[in-house]
Amino acid sequence: MFPKVPDYHKPNKPLIPNGLGVIYVLISATYLLLLHYFVYDISSSWASRALTLAVCILFGGFMGLLDDWIDLKWRYKAFLPLIASVPLITLAKTLGLRTSITLPIIGSLQFGNYYYFLLIPLIVTITTNTINQLGGLNGLETVCPAIVLIGLLTVSSGNATLLYVPLIMWLILAFFNVKGKIFVGNSGSFAIGMTVAAFAIISDVKSVLIISILPYIFNSSLILLTFFFSRKKANVYFDGKKLSSSHRRSLITLITYHRPLKEWQVVLTISLLVAFSTFVALLV
Amino acid sequence: MGIRKTLSKEVIVTNFKKIGKLRVEISHSSMLTFSVLTLILLVAFMIRIFPLRWEIETGSLHLSEFDPYHQYRFTEFILKNGFDFWNWQYKNWIDYRSWYPQGVNVLKKSYMGLPLTAAFFYQIISWLGVQIPLMNFCALFPAIMGAFACLAIFFLGKDVGGTPVGFLSALFLALSPSYLQRTSVGFFDDESIGIVALLFFIVFFLRSVEENRSLNSKIKYALGAGATLGYFCIGWGAALYPIGVTAIFVFVLILLNRYTRHLLLSYSLTLGLGLFIAISEPKLSTPYLLTFAILPIAAIFALLYFIEIFSNLKSPKWKLVSLVVLTGIFIGGFALLWQLGYIRGLAGKFISVLNPFVREGSPLVESVAEHRISSWSSIYFDLGIAIIFFVSGFFFILKNLNNRNLFLLIFGVTSLYFACSMVRLLVLFAPAFSLLASIGVIGILKPFITLLKEPPKIFAKKKYGLGSVGKEFSGTAIFLIFIILVTSFVVSPQAGGMPRVYSQAYSPVTITAASLPIVPSDPVREWLDMLDYLKSNFGSKPIHEKVVCSWWDYGYWISMVGNVTSLADNGTWNRTQIENIGFIFMASEELSVQMLKRYNAKYILVYATIDTNGNWFGAGDEGKWAWMARISGRNQGRNPSFDRFVYEEKIIDADSMWVDEKPFGNYTLGFDGVDKNKNGRIDRDETIPNSKGQNSTIFKLMNYARERWLEVNKNQPRSQVLQFFEEEFIAGLNRSAEDSYGGIIPLVCLYKINYPES
Repeated sequence: MFPKVPDYHKPNKPLIPNGLGVIYVLISATYLLLLHYFVYDISSSWASRALTLAVCILFGGFMGLLDDWIDLKWRYKAFLPLIASVPLITLAKTLGLRTSITLPIIGSLQFGNYYYFLLIPLIVTITTNTINQLGGLNGLETVCPAIVLIGLLTVSSGNATLLYVPLIMWLILAFFNVKGKIFVGNSGSFAIGMTVAAFAIISDVKSVLIISILPYIFNSSLILLTFFFSRKKANVYFDGKKLSSSHRRSLITLITYHRPLKEWQVVLTISLLVAFSTFVALLV
Repeated sequence: MGIRKTLSKEVIVTNFKKIGKLRVEISHSSMLTFSVLTLILLVAFMIRIFPLRWEIETGSLHLSEFDPYHQYRFTEFILKNGFDFWNWQYKNWIDYRSWYPQGVNVLKKSYMGLPLTAAFFYQIISWLGVQIPLMNFCALFPAIMGAFACLAIFFLGKDVGGTPVGFLSALFLALSPSYLQRTSVGFFDDESIGIVALLFFIVFFLRSVEENRSLNSKIKYALGAGATLGYFCIGWGAALYPIGVTAIFVFVLILLNRYTRHLLLSYSLTLGLGLFIAISEPKLSTPYLLTFAILPIAAIFALLYFIEIFSNLKSPKWKLVSLVVLTGIFIGGFALLWQLGYIRGLAGKFISVLNPFVREGSPLVESVAEHRISSWSSIYFDLGIAIIFFVSGFFFILKNLNNRNLFLLIFGVTSLYFACSMVRLLVLFAPAFSLLASIGVIGILKPFITLLKEPPKIFAKKKYGLGSVGKEFSGTAIFLIFIILVTSFVVSPQAGGMPRVYSQAYSPVTITAASLPIVPSDPVREWLDMLDYLKSNFGSKPIHEKVVCSWWDYGYWISMVGNVTSLADNGTWNRTQIENIGFIFMASEELSVQMLKRYNAKYILVYATIDTNGNWFGAGDEGKWAWMARISGRNQGRNPSFDRFVYEEKIIDADSMWVDEKPFGNYTLGFDGVDKNKNGRIDRDETIPNSKGQNSTIFKLMNYARERWLEVNKNQPRSQVLQFFEEEFIAGLNRSAEDSYGGIIPLVCLYKINYPES
């Protein structure tokens, strides 16, 4: 049904359906629309949390679609999520959400109006792009965001309903992705990134988000700094059984630099890293 | 025999078949286009007549906001005096019913495009036997023009990107909240014809500069563009915008080395005819040609001629000579016109659009909500997440930067800038947004739709195009874009899930809502009752016997509907008079009556809104007093007339005069705030009376009405005493708390002025 692309990290490079993230986008958006009309008291709030999340997921899916189609340049990818931050700023202002972020050791940082016009766009842009950058292995782009989402869900009791169906849908996709049956594509990757960022802002759990995505930020920093200083990209080699790399320009290449690992081992290692950071985020 | 043969079965059947052949041949696609377009126009019209739900209950249609009443009066005048009115005896028609005592020269102060158009069509429908009151016709006119603009943008979109872009542009414009607001029932103002003229101007002008058209066709379209531009000029002051955009467009074409002789021809015909029509308008007349905004048109014109001459010169010597001569003419001409004072500065309003921060110094301009700078939220609130398609539109036109797309690029960027500098100009941005967003949507959809028709292949990324994608993927992508459009137009998150267009359209006209920021279930009668009272009690009196002083917002209502004489209105023709009215309201009663005497005012009118407990609500003059203070405060030290009433007439000494609203209460009118519990904010119980504020005329008049309502409806004693004013009529006085409009009681109060004996 979906377009098929070769899985380069499997022997014989079998063709796998790609772009199934679109299903996540459509089902999540539909669920959130229904939630808005049938569960929430529409008259109670002028700005709608469910619809705002739906719009952000749709926008993420749209961005991924554009990327799949015209291979967006990084400079566009970096700034396009700024558009998605507009509904979030509106919601945050309308609902009068906290304009501070509480971090361990540092304490509470009050940003005032800068929170709306600087912090929210930064959170959206960084989260979406870093999540999109950590992928390429079966399960990696689906399992790790799912861990972060579960972490966010546990501390956002009031808004947990918003994530029930999106999370279930994403876990189903993750199951098939881990088994090497499907790819979620850029539409899925950007959409889940947008979900994570938007949900954290809507539920006011920014500090949990920031700590949870530290492995992502580390990975993106490594990629960008390497590229900035040496103009070289990260590459991982597959010998038919294991993945290995001759450099340390990303999280994946860093893990496979010393000793070659099987694909599932790499995914497991990174997932454990993300699980650890999420656990730490929940503890603090 | 002949008859029998003629009536034979074969002949009759053959003749019937011939009749069948007479029917108009129309293709299936044309029929489909026509049907879809009709549907879009119907949607556009139906949405715009939503306010009728309240108007029908009042028994007649009313106009919205304030300016439309002036346009109505002008239309009425044309119908009464004929269409040749501006050439003959009415050249100096001074309306003394407004801006008393000097009145206002209507022809010199108003654009005649809208009244002329409305009068023309009203005359036609009258000849056809349709007899409806002019007010009803004027109220419906904007809705018709709104739908007509959708037709105009369809043609433009079709020219730019084909029929699908035309359809989408028309639909987007039909659903554009900012455009809808200014073309819904009752909004009988310049924009209703202005946007139509703008769109047809662009259609004709772009056709006239198309390269693959015959010369004959180019001339026809250039003349069409000139005529519509001229119509725009005599209809709306924003005509400077298309003129400026055209100048920039042609200048960029020159820079891109795309000059052709036909460009010179199109430009000359379009701007020549357009400006010729423009100067026939009494308000503009010939000095318009020497304004700072129009002169660049002449400069571009000269530049085009120079390029034409230059390209025909063979000798380098003559080329150099012509260059020197032209430069000399440019510099010399500009210096001469500057010295002679012919180059008039841009009108303040337009300067304030180009540079929004100028408005900070003008409370008169800034006090009007629609003149304020648009924030990012007002743009998002209007357009929703569809902004992404607008951005995509830019991407697609930049990919193919032909002449049409270049014009669209300039149109999009400049209209966005102007929309950001003034809320009102979101209406100018609406067509640009509709076009570019449509181009964006269609540009993104096109490859997916194409691929739906092809067999599925292996997916491969390709720059600026989808290599091969399965049909299902294309279908899903199309559905995703559809859902995004749905969230933008149907379930707008920024409007709490309600369609943004619906929340904009489903509200009564201003007068029927008494300017309240609510959607009442029934018409709010108070203003209508007051205007009925004025009309029936004072309407027949001579002009000088029925002078009513009110804040300028209500000037058009009381003079046009109430048929009394007003001192100021939304025309804001006389700044000093508005400042003096601000003084009347903010000064004490003793000082106020001295100023009122200068205008021979007989009555004074204020508008207050309270909740059912008697607290101020904020939708009446209790929300406007700060502007009254700021505007009148500007008078000090700047205006010679102020010096006159300070020193010669000794109304007030300079030390007692104010500059802004602060002396009247830093919390609200008549109250100062003191942070007693030191929590960093002023709570409701942390206020102390401010004597200057409580002694102001506006406070006393509003407070009197408030206490009267409490007296009538809650049996509470009244303490406010008026020295020189006497209650004449208070609309809303008998409205009980149970009958309030969502907890709001509007009080429109008319007081008779009793001047002191001396």
